[in-house]
Amino acid sequence: MSSVLFVALPLLFGFATPILSRVGKNGVVYSSTLMQMFLLYLSFSLLSSSSSHVEIISIAPPLGISFILNKASLFFVALFTFLITIFSLYYISHRKIDAYENETKFFILLNMLLASSIGLVLSSDIFNIYVFFEIAGISAYILSAYKKTPSALEAGLKYLLTGAVASVFLIFAIALIYINIGSLNLAVISQNFETLPQNIKVLISILLLIGFGFKVEIFPLNFWVTDVYQGSTSLVNALFSGIVVKAYLFVFFHLLYLFLPSGEFSVFLIYLGAMSMLVAEIAGLKQSNLKRLFAYSSLGQVALIFTAFAMGNSDAIQGALFIVFAHSVAKMIIFFALTSIEKEYKSFDIKVLKELNSPFLRAIMLIAMLSLLGIPVFAGFVGKFLVLKALVVDGMLTALVIIVFASLLESIYYFKLAGFMFSKGEKKEVLTVSFTQKFVFTLLALLLIIVGIAPFLISSFLHEASTIMLDSKSYIDMLVGV
Amino acid sequence: MFEYLNQPEVIKTIVTIGSMTLFFIGLFGLLTQKHLIKFFISITIMETSLFLLFIGLTFKKDFIAPILTNGQTTFSNMNDPIPHAMILTAIVIGMAVLALGVSFAIEYYKLTGKTNIDEMTELRH
Repeated sequence: MSSVLFVALPLLFGFATPILSRVGKNGVVYSSTLMQMFLLYLSFSLLSSSSSHVEIISIAPPLGISFILNKASLFFVALFTFLITIFSLYYISHRKIDAYENETKFFILLNMLLASSIGLVLSSDIFNIYVFFEIAGISAYILSAYKKTPSALEAGLKYLLTGAVASVFLIFAIALIYINIGSLNLAVISQNFETLPQNIKVLISILLLIGFGFKVEIFPLNFWVTDVYQGSTSLVNALFSGIVVKAYLFVFFHLLYLFLPSGEFSVFLIYLGAMSMLVAEIAGLKQSNLKRLFAYSSLGQVALIFTAFAMGNSDAIQGALFIVFAHSVAKMIIFFALTSIEKEYKSFDIKVLKELNSPFLRAIMLIAMLSLLGIPVFAGFVGKFLVLKALVVDGMLTALVIIVFASLLESIYYFKLAGFMFSKGEKKEVLTVSFTQKFVFTLLALLLIIVGIAPFLISSFLHEASTIMLDSKSYIDMLVGV
Repeated sequence: MFEYLNQPEVIKTIVTIGSMTLFFIGLFGLLTQKHLIKFFISITIMETSLFLLFIGLTFKKDFIAPILTNGQTTFSNMNDPIPHAMILTAIVIGMAVLALGVSFAIEYYKLTGKTNIDEMTELRH
């Protein structure tokens, strides 16, 4: 068993897709889904057994390339494979009514996105991280502009321009790291980073913050996010907020914990995260477009995860991982539901929820929204509670107040939406949800509720993951030996 | 007459100043220009300046390419190949992103006739 499979298999399928598409009209869709299920099976079988392990590709670590699969990265790999499998299952039923033009290309991009997101999480080499950073970016740009309507192209252009600027800053940081340290291996960089002159250290940190700041959607650099969400199709948005952002978030904080284990910038980053959450929720209040509104809610949630990771202690990170899980699953539900609504009613105005004639969809969306809000009994609550608790323990009361205030603002628009959904009045024609779609929705909603009621099911695993994520010493030992 | 220019320190200073000037020209373009294609040009200038900086600072004068040839039997007095390999990869990636971006811009122009960033207002309403 090898962790390379998680990257190699989707890449292989991505490139083999043109051949597979000759097998038959459905060849690509079904074979990709099967492959994703296989990866899901692999990652879950590892969940029960695994200890950390290094996968070396051809040459031993300080020189060669290697992947590291520990509990922290395994959590993200399992989450990504799970989400992408769910996505493909949903798409299989969705394509009967509204298939994407040219599915072959769509599945190439989907598999590339999966491969690069997993690659980002697994790589232990900063240049590899750059390459996967770009592959994930490129597939996301194309997915965003896929429909080739003016608004989709505008979204794609905005995404691409900001992504290109981000990659310039990232490569600047990598060049400075290599010039000063002489290695690209994360372990070697981590060992030597503390000894660099202070000004170089700060310069590299700032460049990395700008480069990743665009991608992790943090306050001054997140102006593009809402436009991209609005221009892309809802189906693709589920991938953006479920997978892509999460991969970048993990990598950013993974690098931060490795390079600056003493947490020099953590107070700054905590306030940055709290402020971005506040700004996102204030801007979200007056939105009347559903996609845009949920983009702002994504920004808020991502900023909360950012704050939690920035605290850099294992309780807060455990909370962050809970929110990562809850947010990904809930946003999948929301954006899938929006896909059905878009197909049926051709509108994204929030008033369309008043006329939404499907008790099933309304109930499912309500569950997702309550979980996003952090109401008890749902998975979002556990994460938010842990994060707020960690803030209190750390004595970050100002940040705590900002976050609680932002959550209150968030609750205002969620309750407004819920009010729209359950208001009496004219309803449109019945929106039918097919069996497979119902299955997907129910599975996701059940996950939110089960984890919310019984967080102990995964909390011990997440606790180990958070400890491992912080433990830069064992990471270094694993890579370069003692 | 210009022998002093051959000293490594002087070369490194020139490379640093020159590439940083280029970088800020690109950044200036990014912040002031509104035309889509000029945007791409600015980003490419920034990228290229970083490639120059990286290669310029890691390249050692009088050192040879890291290939065992022409009677060379040991790996001594050789330039570090990693920056070159990295920059080659980065150039390819940058090229791909540029091509993709320009093709988006062309498609967008065909559909709407707009090239100005400020006029891109299909969204936000």
